[in-house]
Amino acid sequence: MRKEYKIILPFYKMAYAVCFMILLSLIRGVYVSYEIGIALEPPIAILTAVFCADTYVTEIITKRSEVWRLYPLKKKLLAIYTRLFLQILFLFLLAAAGYGLFLLFQRPTFSVNAVQETAQFLVFLASIIITIAFWGILANTLACMFRNMWSAIGICLILWLLTNSSLGIHYLGKWNVFSYTFREMENGGDYNWLCGKVVSIFLGTAAMAALPTIMKQKR
Amino acid sequence: MGIKIKDLTVTFKNQVIAIRHANLEIPKGIYGLLGENGAGKTTLMRVLTTILAPTNGTVTLDGIPYRKENYEKIQKKIGYLPQEIDLYPNLTVQECLEYMGNLSGIPKRICKERIQNLLEKTSLTEHRKKKIRQLSGGMKRRVGLIQALLNEPEFLIVDEPTTGLDPEERIRIRNLLVDFSEGRTVLFSTHVVEDLAATCNQLAVMKKGEFLYAGSMKDLLAQANGHVWTCKAADEITARELEKKYHISSKQYVGGELQLRLISERPPQVECRVCSATLEDAYIYMTNKKSR
Repeated sequence: MRKEYKIILPFYKMAYAVCFMILLSLIRGVYVSYEIGIALEPPIAILTAVFCADTYVTEIITKRSEVWRLYPLKKKLLAIYTRLFLQILFLFLLAAAGYGLFLLFQRPTFSVNAVQETAQFLVFLASIIITIAFWGILANTLACMFRNMWSAIGICLILWLLTNSSLGIHYLGKWNVFSYTFREMENGGDYNWLCGKVVSIFLGTAAMAALPTIMKQKR
Repeated sequence: MGIKIKDLTVTFKNQVIAIRHANLEIPKGIYGLLGENGAGKTTLMRVLTTILAPTNGTVTLDGIPYRKENYEKIQKKIGYLPQEIDLYPNLTVQECLEYMGNLSGIPKRICKERIQNLLEKTSLTEHRKKKIRQLSGGMKRRVGLIQALLNEPEFLIVDEPTTGLDPEERIRIRNLLVDFSEGRTVLFSTHVVEDLAATCNQLAVMKKGEFLYAGSMKDLLAQANGHVWTCKAADEITARELEKKYHISSKQYVGGELQLRLISERPPQVECRVCSATLEDAYIYMTNKKSR
């Protein structure tokens, strides 16, 4: 695990992700605390796609993939999953810290009681872990499929633009992967956005399941 | 046993034929693969490591045919050092090798023992805690070679392992390959002729995707003997005239005169004498035989 961490989380990657979060929390205005989740989810999704696109492709760029070709598939997959797990964990912690940065820099208006605030934060954490996992897995699977991280980032960007838009709200509604962002905030009892997260889990699982076949075929 | 290649053809998607109708048998021991850049050596190695699938023809390793269903079995028998490989820059030598050994499926304890042993053999023990990015080119190449040897492969493929190394490093790597070749097959690809002269008895010469020669070093030299000549040129102008007419394998000033080694099928039309061929002469003779 320590070796995977050193391989997949070099200083420059962590630095650009932290800078991204600081800048976002400085320039994106929020007035009420419940807007923080909305401000964070879509940017974190695209950051995740860029961040995770090189999970395996780094082996291709450095020509290590020619040696990886000789390794058993199980071992290769385990290494990729471990790398994804570490990146997702890092981005999740960063998102949690980002929430704090918004509170610090934007000083939004709070809800009436602390329990509500805490619940809001926990719901954000639950939602963002699914978002990060989905975009991370998707970006890596696409990168493995095309053997190129830029193709994966490009496709993710198109998908991001389509789903994070009025078009996405209109056609996908509660099944949108950004349903948490588009939820009815005034209605605290509205949990329809969970449908979008179910879609994310389903698509993420499908992408994960496709990886062994892609790795076998694409070498 | 060993490797058998029959009528192998590899055509790329852009219709470039990288290897055409190649036949070769690679027995146990070190086998040299010599050829200019773009001759098809790396493509051949990529086929042998199962990275590329042949367009036509058959390849077998210890009798196992190269087919998708056998790839896993074949891959277990192979160790590979590609021409270019960037090992993990943020890992130490020890960590990098342990990581790659683990990916190979070698049990931890055995892997550690092998790493220690190979680090000693390659004089890298004192550098084992250094990060890969802190190593010199030669050291990185040695670490690359260790990763190829970790699973104790029956068939080791090394692509230009000595490129960019100083003479001492080159000798060290050559000796390591010779030590390792006992009871195994080592395919040693290079365009550095003297590396093969120092290590192999058998070799193949490739040019434009074809094997021009495959056999013993002795026979290759015998074929070139009688076609290598030395002569003296009074000045640079005379030397240039000779260069236009013949293949020159070496040119040096000796006692104020230019001494040239010419490769020619027939006796050159200048005052000269026959001399015994070196592997470099034989290689030039073989690769230019058809064009003369």
